Amino acid sequence: MEHSGSSTIEGDLAELIVRTLKLKIDPTSIRPEAPLFGEGLGLDSIDALELSLAISQRYGYQLKSSDPEIKVIFSSLRALAKAIEKNRTK
Amino acid sequence: MSLAWRRQRERGSRAGVRAMTWTALTLGRPVARALLYPICAYFLMSSPESRRAVARFRAVVFGRPARWGELFRHYYTFAATVLDRVYLLRAQFDLFDLRFHGVEVLDRELAKGRGCILVGAHVGSFEVIRAVGVLGRRLDVTVVMDEHNAPLMRRLTEMLNPAVAATVIQAGGVEAMLHVRERLGRGGIVGMMGDRAVGREQTVECLFFGRPARFPTGALRLASLLGVPVVLCFGLYRGGNRYDIHFESFLNDGDEPGDQQQPFLQHAMQRYVARLEAMCRLAPDNWFNFYEFWDGAEQ
Repeated sequence: MEHSGSSTIEGDLAELIVRTLKLKIDPTSIRPEAPLFGEGLGLDSIDALELSLAISQRYGYQLKSSDPEIKVIFSSLRALAKAIEKNRTK
Repeated sequence: MSLAWRRQRERGSRAGVRAMTWTALTLGRPVARALLYPICAYFLMSSPESRRAVARFRAVVFGRPARWGELFRHYYTFAATVLDRVYLLRAQFDLFDLRFHGVEVLDRELAKGRGCILVGAHVGSFEVIRAVGVLGRRLDVTVVMDEHNAPLMRRLTEMLNPAVAATVIQAGGVEAMLHVRERLGRGGIVGMMGDRAVGREQTVECLFFGRPARFPTGALRLASLLGVPVVLCFGLYRGGNRYDIHFESFLNDGDEPGDQQQPFLQHAMQRYVARLEAMCRLAPDNWFNFYEFWDGAEQ
């Protein structure tokens, strides 16, 4: 698969999020800058883990709790897509 | 609650923690326990909301109104386990009569090398579980805790045993469960509480002593997501220097939920709540949720 820009990853990732967490929303309705966790989509820490497993499978990027940027990475769809773009291995 | 007042209260309790630790370690357990009497009397009189919640819990369990002496004993039991935490954190296990039940359950799950989730409750002492080390087991235990709610416990742990403090994972943070997975991946044990939801954690309604209350599904969702076994664990304080530590098999890999996630969680949590109830019947004074626990009751 070719490594396209982060906006394509955003769309792809939004679908992955909805599918993985079985959310009953349209992936395109996730606003890229809005918080994913807590007040945003209302996702919790176990959703974050489930999502990180799916991300590792799909993009070959292993999210780690020791990453000093971890809270920033999980802060929004856009931030997460950027991190994936930078670190993906597939 | 105003910030200034909270700060002041925090300062006051910080001095209190230091005083308690000094007393416990310098004057010894019998003297420290004697001092708990006036302290408990003070807290019993000055915390009407907590007192009402405890009275309500006891009334539900016993089917009759709680007596003052029982309320005092309930407070004293809590205070005694907090005090004992000082000794447990200092690994002074020989002070105690520790009775283990079902440790082989834990051994069996750990032997599979995939780590294990221990689910406990705010019943008795979770800290006493670390004492399993006295049986010659080397256990890598991490505990997920809501430390924002218990800054004093955090300070106590840091002061007495920084190594233990370093193994506590703050609940609720987005990265908390990544951390948990890393510990389990190393074959470690992760302790979680099954009776109190943290922040926006998902919950299901279960019947606890026949009345609806909400319980967090975090530990079970985690277990089914990672395919890790769950063992229940309760460290009941039985008076004097005796603790009964119960391990019970709860979920193995054969119990995978598949697509039936919601009914599975509901069913499994109700099973947990039934065991929690059994422990509360064994040792009602060990119930340490000092707030209105059931749904519909004021928070």
